[in-house]
Amino acid sequence: MTELSLTIIFIVGFLALVSTSQGVLLSRASLQGFLTYLAVPIVIGMAQMVVLCIGQMNLAVGAMGGVSTAIMATQMADHKVSIPVALLVGFLGATAMGAINGALVVLTQLNGFIITLGTMTILLGVQYRLVRTFTIDKYPTSLPDFGKKNIVGFPLILVIAIATSVVLSMYFSRTGSGRRVLATGGNALAARLSGVSNSRSVFIAHTLSGALVGVAAIITIASLPGINRSIGGDWMLSSFSAPIIGGVLMAGGTVAVYGTVIAAGVIRLVDIARAQYSLDPSIVSLTVGVVVLSTVALSEWRRRRTVRQNEGRKVLPA
Amino acid sequence: MSAELLVESVSKAFPGVQALDKVNLALHGGTVHALLGENGAGKSTLIKIITGVYRADAGNLKTNGEERFFDSPIEATHAGIAVVHQERNLIAEFSVEENITLHNPPLRLGIIDRTERTRLANEALTTLGFEIDLNERIKNLSVAQMQLVEIAKALVTKAQIILLDEPTASITAGETVKLFEVISRLKSQGTAILFVSHKLEEVYEICDTVTVLRDGVSVLESKPLANYKQSEIVDLMVGRHLADRKVVIRKVDRQVNAVLELKNLKTSLGHESVSLSLYPGEVLGMYGLVGAGRSELARSILGLHEITGGEILLGGKSVKIKSFRDALHVHRIGYVTENRKEEGLFLDFSVRKNVSVTILSKILQKLGIIHVGKEDVVASKYVDRLGIKVVDNDQLAGTLSGGNQQKVSVSKWLAAETKILIIDEPTVGVDVRTKASFHELITELADEGLSIILISSDLAEIIAISDRILVMRDYELVGEVENTKDYPSISRSIMSSIHSGS
Repeated sequence: MTELSLTIIFIVGFLALVSTSQGVLLSRASLQGFLTYLAVPIVIGMAQMVVLCIGQMNLAVGAMGGVSTAIMATQMADHKVSIPVALLVGFLGATAMGAINGALVVLTQLNGFIITLGTMTILLGVQYRLVRTFTIDKYPTSLPDFGKKNIVGFPLILVIAIATSVVLSMYFSRTGSGRRVLATGGNALAARLSGVSNSRSVFIAHTLSGALVGVAAIITIASLPGINRSIGGDWMLSSFSAPIIGGVLMAGGTVAVYGTVIAAGVIRLVDIARAQYSLDPSIVSLTVGVVVLSTVALSEWRRRRTVRQNEGRKVLPA
Repeated sequence: MSAELLVESVSKAFPGVQALDKVNLALHGGTVHALLGENGAGKSTLIKIITGVYRADAGNLKTNGEERFFDSPIEATHAGIAVVHQERNLIAEFSVEENITLHNPPLRLGIIDRTERTRLANEALTTLGFEIDLNERIKNLSVAQMQLVEIAKALVTKAQIILLDEPTASITAGETVKLFEVISRLKSQGTAILFVSHKLEEVYEICDTVTVLRDGVSVLESKPLANYKQSEIVDLMVGRHLADRKVVIRKVDRQVNAVLELKNLKTSLGHESVSLSLYPGEVLGMYGLVGAGRSELARSILGLHEITGGEILLGGKSVKIKSFRDALHVHRIGYVTENRKEEGLFLDFSVRKNVSVTILSKILQKLGIIHVGKEDVVASKYVDRLGIKVVDNDQLAGTLSGGNQQKVSVSKWLAAETKILIIDEPTVGVDVRTKASFHELITELADEGLSIILISSDLAEIIAISDRILVMRDYELVGEVENTKDYPSISRSIMSSIHSGS
């Protein structure tokens, strides 16, 4: 339902922009820009989604991404590590950060919000230590070149983002592990009584979030000329908008991979519209903010309506 | 004018269940009126309609001459109706005083008048003869203390009509005496009191008139209680439908080794020394009043609460069960919870996904991918066997009726093919027909060799399908009855073990 209306909004919005810009948007360069900068929002949206689906939040998404890219960049620039190895180390680093978040949540039994608030602050410190105030760009140009590659007309990095979403979607819809994670998010007590380990689900969700941040870090470093300490600074809030607009419930138990992807697309359109009509940048924040709020309100209203309709089905103890 | 509450021909249907069918009740000031019925008869639904929690489908409600239903509990409060619910509605982080005056805090210039608040709370508590620190937080109180705070909360509103839903379920005999003194005083002041209880002795002690509900119908309407003997009331409550059932005495071989044995089991929840044996293919009934410690025992066995002493033996071997996961996958014991909505189901999952959640590891192919074909076969098997009414296996569990939800919750455990199944209150809130089909199912499963512990507060149910009945009271097993399925004699011996020595 949400996904269908978002798709319609996306198509209508896109066509409107194309027609009012006399087709400029369809030019090779603009289209390329539009699609390239769609990759990171999609992947960080999913990094947040996998934690939302167990009813928690990952506030450290941006800080983890910042540290992960910083690791990749310093490995290549300062230690002359080869590109694939540096990317792998950065990716594993992000995954490990997620695993640590998960382990801390399980061990302390505190909510992910508090834990990731803590790790976020620590990681920001780490990021500043690694990058300082410099821009790190002394690494082989073959990496930015790789980031500019196309596959049948689509930016390679967008293809990576889409492929990641397909795999993630498969994970949740078709694997036993994904099913258990959703069971934990949907009803932790019922999951426990059904023999599901909630601790394991929580750990998996946070680790997966870390791995997805790792993918986002690879995409980022490949699409930028250099790395500085601002990387990841604007990720955290935007990571929430795509999944929430895309139909993921804050309460947990659901994922909406396609919804997240298309919502990221819609947000990207708002951005393009701003550039197109030279609107004030604040208009983007304003629009996205209003959309997020109304989506949450709408889904809450829908949930209550369902509850009311099911009220009768509520079984009353005498 | 003295208080008056008239319920006239009130009906309420929930999908699949006619919860109330043209119910009448006349509650007058200066009387205590008993509302009786088995679990699921519709008592709480009626109270919820009177207090504006639910909306009736048909009928009238007259309060002090004014004819109208309330749209919300607040309206009912303003109309002078106070209710003490069975489930407590207190705010854990607030103090006793704050909770007692929650609905209508005394104000001065828009600010809460603390002196007046203390006075009001004190007054209510003194009336109850209940001493407690007014500043204590609710979360630090015992269940009985919370119950008394709940009652004080009703008193402080100076309501003319008070509905008490099982007020004595969790308080001691001494506190009950004090409560009854208060009820008598309120009665002499002209207050109308509706009293819901399962304890018939108490009902006879305090009540003047009586209404009996059975399966949503008022089979006895506002009659003087003194005209009826206790046994007549019980007959009205349970009805004659029990007699029609064909009686089958199953043969259970108890010469073989027990599949499950508890030896002097002690738990962190308060069981001191529980011993029992469950034999292959047996249906072992466990009867007791709500709060007797039966579910708590089951959950402790399955690893949810700590075992602090004694032994659990499975097939003669002493075991430690660490968690439900351990119980299911290693020891092959399942537990069908009584709270299907909160603990038994994933409402946002399809029926198929709900059924398969216990067997995910058995239906995986390479890379941990679920074999949807196999999953669907299993789901269909139980949808057919239990007659679950669904459009298809992809229908969301949240959209099913109560009885069908319960069947889905049970299916999950049948699919797991455990050796032992503990079934907790399987038929609370399901209609008569579904209930009968559950009873057949349980017997069938036992015939197939499954060993079952059936926890139920429904005497008729326990007697209809158990082979042997254990009685639990206050976390202790106080009786064991070989079930001859002769309802009068068995119910008498169960009741005598419940009441003896208390």
